[in-house]
Amino acid sequence: MKITVALAALLSLASGLGAQVGPASPRDSAARADSIARADSLALVRELEALERGGRDTTSVAALTPGQGPINPRLMPDISVIGDVVADLSPSGSTLEGGRRFDIREVELALGAAVDPYFRADFIFGVSDLEGIAVEEAYVTATALPWSLLAKVGRFHMPIGKQNTTHRPELQTVEYPHVIQRFLGPEGGKGTGLWFSRIFAPFGFYQELQATAVDHLGEAEEDEELETLEPSNRSLGGLGYSARLRNYWDMSEASNLELSASAATSRRAQPVLCGGVPVCPGIDGTPGVNARQSLVGADLTFRWRPLQQGLYKSFIAQAEYLRQLNQNDPALPPAFGAAAEYIGPSRNLDGGYAFARYQLTRRTHIGGRFDWVEEEDAAGEKANATAFSAYLQFFPSEFSKLVGAYERFIPPGQAERTNRILLQMTFSIGPHRPHPF
Amino acid sequence: MLSTLKLMLGAIGLAATTLAAQPAPRLNVVTTTTDLHDIAKSVGGNRIEAIHISEGYQDPHFVEAKPSFILRLRNAHVFAYVGLDLEVGWMSLLVDGSRNPRIRPGAPGNLDVSRAIPVLDQMRGNVDRSQGDVHPLGNPHYWLDAGNGRRIARLFRDRFSQLDPDGASIYAQNTRDFEARLAAAEREWAPLVAKIRGKPVVAWHTSWKYLAQYTGMNIVGFMEPKPGVPPSPAHLAGLVATMKRTGARVILMEPFYNRKTADFIAERTGAKVLILPPSVGGVRSVRDYIALLRYDIGQLANAL
Repeated sequence: MKITVALAALLSLASGLGAQVGPASPRDSAARADSIARADSLALVRELEALERGGRDTTSVAALTPGQGPINPRLMPDISVIGDVVADLSPSGSTLEGGRRFDIREVELALGAAVDPYFRADFIFGVSDLEGIAVEEAYVTATALPWSLLAKVGRFHMPIGKQNTTHRPELQTVEYPHVIQRFLGPEGGKGTGLWFSRIFAPFGFYQELQATAVDHLGEAEEDEELETLEPSNRSLGGLGYSARLRNYWDMSEASNLELSASAATSRRAQPVLCGGVPVCPGIDGTPGVNARQSLVGADLTFRWRPLQQGLYKSFIAQAEYLRQLNQNDPALPPAFGAAAEYIGPSRNLDGGYAFARYQLTRRTHIGGRFDWVEEEDAAGEKANATAFSAYLQFFPSEFSKLVGAYERFIPPGQAERTNRILLQMTFSIGPHRPHPF
Repeated sequence: MLSTLKLMLGAIGLAATTLAAQPAPRLNVVTTTTDLHDIAKSVGGNRIEAIHISEGYQDPHFVEAKPSFILRLRNAHVFAYVGLDLEVGWMSLLVDGSRNPRIRPGAPGNLDVSRAIPVLDQMRGNVDRSQGDVHPLGNPHYWLDAGNGRRIARLFRDRFSQLDPDGASIYAQNTRDFEARLAAAEREWAPLVAKIRGKPVVAWHTSWKYLAQYTGMNIVGFMEPKPGVPPSPAHLAGLVATMKRTGARVILMEPFYNRKTADFIAERTGAKVLILPPSVGGVRSVRDYIALLRYDIGQLANAL
């Protein structure tokens, strides 16, 4: 009899517990506190829960959880949009591309989702008044490769140097460093092809080797304007290739260091003259010839962010050096005749920058950058362009940023110096994207 | 001399026996937070090797995706995370970077712990960021409810058993032991909970809602006007009025927020700023999950 009563009580209590699958109400909490106060009841609850859940697998636990059906039943990709608005208040007129004082420099539309268990796809389109719609990046990432490999196929930012891998709206400055603009393009260097990466740690710290093979390097306008007798990618040796070795160390809980080296090579169209004029036999447009251009460089990044005060304090210092190696006497096509003359870059050019940013408050950062890049003039002489810039950043939230910047630009040959005052606002909507590191 | 030699041989033999008796860990487990780490260790015992990414005194939303974390994830069998977008700012970079198919979404080693939790603050209707840095799937700070601690342990038990069936009985026993320790601790702090129940407090962030649910304390206002948004003067003025009206005497906050604003409000209301660790390791003395709850409940009861 006693056993029957006990079983009935158990069953009654079990059914009551089974019904308690929703979020606990204040009354539930109070009831639970009461039962906690009574140890015997608590032990009984424990036993019943064990009986109730005994032998069930994880799926059954999940099935008991209310309100957690498919989050995305239509399998829609993540869609986000970043607006990048720039104003140029420079005293000597606008220095922005297109000459506008206020400009929507770019709207970046990003879509991303898993394709299947083996691939993830990402598409980033850049929309601007000057360029219309451009495919900034579009690649599929193979996520299920062995041996710590990762591969991408499509268009991507080339892993050359540190800042080139960051999208322009996510830069810590308004524009890319001058050396990147000069050597890789104003919007950074991108390539279309294959990207491989492997991570390893034979010495106890993080190392990553990234290698790419792309159709060609460089997105500079002059590449598009020049016409050559044969495409630069006619032979496989004319494609663009790059390699980057990243080395990363945690110096302490709060600070870390990254030292990387990059190299890239490609054949690129460079200008020629025939008989002193840009008109050559067999070419309808502006004549060019393919010459090898390579880049080597190194970059160093130091970061400090104390974990407990990380919302309010941080510091980053970064320096990058790139050397552009130019073929000085490419073979000119016989069809151009004996009077053909190569007028592309023939000297090796150096450039770099040093950047630092300190976090003043939770929302405010201050930073500065020194830029230096060599340029080659028409006479083949090298001259330095330098720039000093200072930045004040304000983040209303993680999803919007206001930047005020001043830059003093000193062009090659100490010609007319330019004072630039730039304001920038970026804002994003859509799913939370990962914080850049 | 002979006796010394015998003693040494005996010691070596004993050490060898002990080592042989300790099986090598079967599962490498990486958790995003220290709380999940401690519960995983309680369930996995010496059959798992567990490490965590964030620290208990760190805001888990703003963890930097350091490459060294990628190395930790590279060989993981299980990657357990809080979910509900708590780690959205950094987790995907680490999981993608690890190139470890065992822990990718959909793989058995990818463990979204929130699946086992009755989640608070699940948003309904239109959700956008005018509401602050919202978590549309619900409030992710669920580990501060002992009931959810049990659910987390059981989820670990089930997933470890699935991946390491030979250890299923050990994981089950460890889970029972963990729950018994938790039950004993709950009996110990039940009088403190009774003292806290119904008392009005102000919290900095919504992260204390589960502790409020567990203890019955009444959160009458938040320092943040909206999640993730620093307080404005107008909001603070309203909060002062609320505190005076409700008699809230404690401002509850995590160690990683700047307490200046809270001190300012405390001065005007006579309240006390109580900085509590939200996670294991948030203060030096809090070394495990049960100690975390014991510490937080004890401090709250003292302050109220």
